[in-house]
Amino acid sequence: MKKPAGKKTGHKLSRTSVYACQYMTRDSLVHQLGAGWKIAFCTLLSALAVGARTPRELLALVAVTLIYYFAARLTPFDLWRDIKFFVYQAVVVISLYCLHSGLSKGLWPGIRTSVQVILFYIPGAVLLRTTSTGDMMRGLRRVVPYRLSFLVFVSIRFVPFFFRELDEISTAQRLRGARLLPRQLLDPRNWGDLFHCLLLPLMVRALKTAEEVSLSAEAREFGRRKQRTYFDVSLCGEPAVRSPDKPQPVTPPLLQPCCNRGQLNRKV
Amino acid sequence: MMHTPERMFLWRRFTLREGILLGFCATFIILARAGLRLHLHLPGHVMFFTMFFFLLARGCVPKTGSATLVGLIVSLASFLLGMGTKGPAVFVKFLLPALLVDCAGYIFPAFVTSVVACVLVGSVSAAVRALSDTWIEWLSGMDTEIVLQKTIITASLFALYAGLSALAVPSIIRRLQRNGLIDQGEDEKR
Repeated sequence: MKKPAGKKTGHKLSRTSVYACQYMTRDSLVHQLGAGWKIAFCTLLSALAVGARTPRELLALVAVTLIYYFAARLTPFDLWRDIKFFVYQAVVVISLYCLHSGLSKGLWPGIRTSVQVILFYIPGAVLLRTTSTGDMMRGLRRVVPYRLSFLVFVSIRFVPFFFRELDEISTAQRLRGARLLPRQLLDPRNWGDLFHCLLLPLMVRALKTAEEVSLSAEAREFGRRKQRTYFDVSLCGEPAVRSPDKPQPVTPPLLQPCCNRGQLNRKV
Repeated sequence: MMHTPERMFLWRRFTLREGILLGFCATFIILARAGLRLHLHLPGHVMFFTMFFFLLARGCVPKTGSATLVGLIVSLASFLLGMGTKGPAVFVKFLLPALLVDCAGYIFPAFVTSVVACVLVGSVSAAVRALSDTWIEWLSGMDTEIVLQKTIITASLFALYAGLSALAVPSIIRRLQRNGLIDQGEDEKR
């Protein structure tokens, strides 16, 4: 069987990073740290990167940042993924410095500021690479009000749904003659089709789906109270076995504020 | 038919339906970013869809704060999904142009139906987004002239793409309004 490209087998770490700042499952000390600690460390390193001026300070900071990065058992390949954009930017910045002040005077300031900018972003990349979505969501629930986090999770949850919708609308419109193929969209004259044949129907679909989702949530009394509520099945009595001869009493479902993790399994 | 007043869900301003709709606009920005990061490598092209959906969100929910809410949701979702190459700075990146769209909406509520106003607001907001990188470079001690030159190049590209996408917004908003899918938003200066 053919091995997937870009992967190594055996004891070596796999180069599976597809895009920059992608979360990587590794068993490392940094992974085990809480999200709060990682954010604090990220802020501290980024602030130091902004403040560093002398070559010695900068070298020390490069060493600390790299130790932090590789302590998370991330590979040089991951590092390249994360800083690729900034390396391209560094080329522009150094060129501008050299054009502005000459090669001898402009080279060091150009390198210094480029390295500072790269060092500013690396701790953030470590945070994203070592903190799972679940951990971030748990952390988010403590900071962000539940109504806002509900909207965030709804928007994430509907990514695959709208991806399918987009695909279906695109196929249907292409069959009707709309110029929506990727190579056709490179021509700006076809952008009208993109907006009126693809994005407009998508927006109509979004309006309809928003109506349905909100009705569904409101029917379950979501957002009625200030605190998060859940559907308490224990207050509905024993699960009833329906029989046409003996009608079962129906207890109205009650809404209770969330109190512990054990009761969260039947959230509204 | 009698209309019962809708219950406010978020910040005493948005109903649940509006909140979810704005969440969907954020979904579209995430989808566009996810799609574009794999295919195109043109600098600033990401602002094409980002500004389009910010403006569309403001048109669909004509209330102050709608674009900001989209910006907030996109930043949080991008952060959670690990899509921001710049870590926590992603918040500034999305909130800054969104705030400008809302400011424009507060001053001139019907701007989303005017092509000129839409292009102007879209371009300016996208250009301001270039400042989110500039402040780090400036704090790092980069030469002011270099910072200025780089910012001008980036801001021009952002403004160009945002302006192109903003051209389509008024016609889409007008079509949605004509079909009764969204509110007219004439007296929504709140």
